[in-house]
Amino acid sequence: MKPVTRKIAIAFGILAATTFVVAEKVATPIAIGVSVAQTSNTALLGREQVIGAQIAESFFNSRGGVNGTPFKLFFEDTGGDEAGAINAFQTQINKNNVVAIVGPTLSQQAFAADKIADRAKVPVLGPSNTAKGIPQIGDFIARVSSPVSIVAPNSVRAALKINPEIKKVAVFYAQNDAFSTSETGTFQETAKAQGLEITTVQRFQTTDSDFTSQVSAGLATKPELVIVSGLAADGGNLIKQLRLAGYKGLIIGGNGLNTANMFPVCQQYCDGVLIAQAYSPTAAGSLNAAFRTVYKNTYKKEPPQFTAQAFAAVQVIVEALRRVDKAAKVSGAELADVRVALNDAILAGTYNTPLGTISFDKEGEVNQKLFYVAQIKMNPDNKTGSFVYLK
Amino acid sequence: MFESFFNQYGFLMVYMVLQATLALSLYLPLTAGQLSLASPGFFALGGYIAAVMSTTVWATNGMFPIPYLLLEMLLGGLASGLLAVVVGVPALRLRGIYLALATIAFVEILRVVSLNLTITGGAVGIFGIPQPFNSSLEYMWVALPLLIACVIFTARLEKSRIGRAFVAIREDELAADAMGVNPTYHKVLAFVIGAMIAGMVGAITAHFLNTWNARQGTFDASINILAFVLIGGSRMTLGPVVGGMLLTALPEILRPVGDVRLIVNGFLLTLGAVLLPQGLISPRVFKRKKVDV
Repeated sequence: MKPVTRKIAIAFGILAATTFVVAEKVATPIAIGVSVAQTSNTALLGREQVIGAQIAESFFNSRGGVNGTPFKLFFEDTGGDEAGAINAFQTQINKNNVVAIVGPTLSQQAFAADKIADRAKVPVLGPSNTAKGIPQIGDFIARVSSPVSIVAPNSVRAALKINPEIKKVAVFYAQNDAFSTSETGTFQETAKAQGLEITTVQRFQTTDSDFTSQVSAGLATKPELVIVSGLAADGGNLIKQLRLAGYKGLIIGGNGLNTANMFPVCQQYCDGVLIAQAYSPTAAGSLNAAFRTVYKNTYKKEPPQFTAQAFAAVQVIVEALRRVDKAAKVSGAELADVRVALNDAILAGTYNTPLGTISFDKEGEVNQKLFYVAQIKMNPDNKTGSFVYLK
Repeated sequence: MFESFFNQYGFLMVYMVLQATLALSLYLPLTAGQLSLASPGFFALGGYIAAVMSTTVWATNGMFPIPYLLLEMLLGGLASGLLAVVVGVPALRLRGIYLALATIAFVEILRVVSLNLTITGGAVGIFGIPQPFNSSLEYMWVALPLLIACVIFTARLEKSRIGRAFVAIREDELAADAMGVNPTYHKVLAFVIGAMIAGMVGAITAHFLNTWNARQGTFDASINILAFVLIGGSRMTLGPVVGGMLLTALPEILRPVGDVRLIVNGFLLTLGAVLLPQGLISPRVFKRKKVDV
């Protein structure tokens, strides 16, 4: 096709698009979209989210679905980049005709894709977007993941509870990781607010494995507390090298280190690291107990935070749908109307999830009641360990 | 039916056009025999210029005026061109794989710089970039003319004295030099034109994606664009355009395949590289047709 012909074809397409507007209806089973990273290096997190969503699907469908109508999750992979997230969202909105979307995995992807959903008036619930400014993208954007600024300070308070003598803090962070950079800002503000002195701020890359220069510069300032924001491999190595260099004080790890994948990296040196948590597998509540049992039966370990958050996101949408359905039957109704009503219902409700009781403010920011701090306890084999939740 | 099709694939179609234009930015130095992987660096620079200008200097509440978008493209292109002159003169003394390595280093340097500056928003980047259009598809009004202009420009360039000088350098730099072609001048020229195209594409893409961060200009992106050119064909203007469009669309076309789609994608690419080493579009294909007639 010649470029000019193509241009005319596109112009015709736009014209056609505006003339034939067909109103879509909500199908049975009701379609809910889940778009997280199932491929790329972000898939390490995305896979945990897929599991959480799948558990929620069978769990709530076996308990009546949406007032007797079953619902179905549509998974569309976002990959790790912004364009992939937008393509996945477009497929969810226009092809799968979903009532709402859970996703995407990364905050940077959310800044690109959420705008698309907001324009199409489709509610989005972020399961793991923690950067500042996500709910402010639009009226249809909310999240179940508490922002860094709320979660991170808990571990600093816990450290001061264990050792009230702490005065000097050394901060380390991975400067090429979006989450770590925003998290370290929160850690530094919290430390200052608690009257601590930040003696040094050391930067590294998530791809580094040798931290000699950062460790010696950091320890030269004689810190009594070290705060590390990074990912599992680099953070684990940094902690190991800090301990090998003779550091004896407390270490706080950021959320990127909040995974058992770090244990084989820092081995016995992981022991005692404090990490704040938005989720605790041992949290009270019958729903969390049921969720934990299902997960443990299949995967033989404790459910991670990402899985619990994805479960909670699906749960919020299902419970909000139940309320919309009570007012007027959802199945068979106009899709556009249901999406708007569902968005209002999501923001209006209070939900008893595995994360504890959560609700939303009018912008879509989550209000989570409970946070936890866990301390790593390594087993004698130095390869496995567990998170022990502090009271 | 049309509506849902354009709603679903509008973004993808514009993205295909943008990526095809970006492929041209890598193709141009290659016509002069220079394997440069610097395109994503200039692409990122153009994007940052647009993102910073539109969120700070020309911040608007409503729709972003289109003339400003065009101005940003111009600025992005000029800034990339200037930087290309500065980088190109020393870097293009290197040849083959060494030049490729130097340009990878250049992209990395830009990435680390943008991670450390506050104006670029660090690792989170810049978000909430104002939109000049109401839908993704409308970006076609800017993207498609840019692609057409770049294709016509490149095709005309290849027919001109400068284009023939590029080819002469590609085939034998020493012989070209002996024939009176100034290799340094022409190599830098090809590099600078490529950089300007990448900068302009970056400026549109920043608005198009609504957010811009250091993950846009990476080594991965370099390899992607190189694949556009190699799979499409590196001996004709149409090659990178077809390659860029096809390779951008392929993962989405394969979406119904499910979890293994990227494996299928990689397999198809390997197959293409093995069976069509000249790329999909090569002059040979066209020549043979003429003989048949």
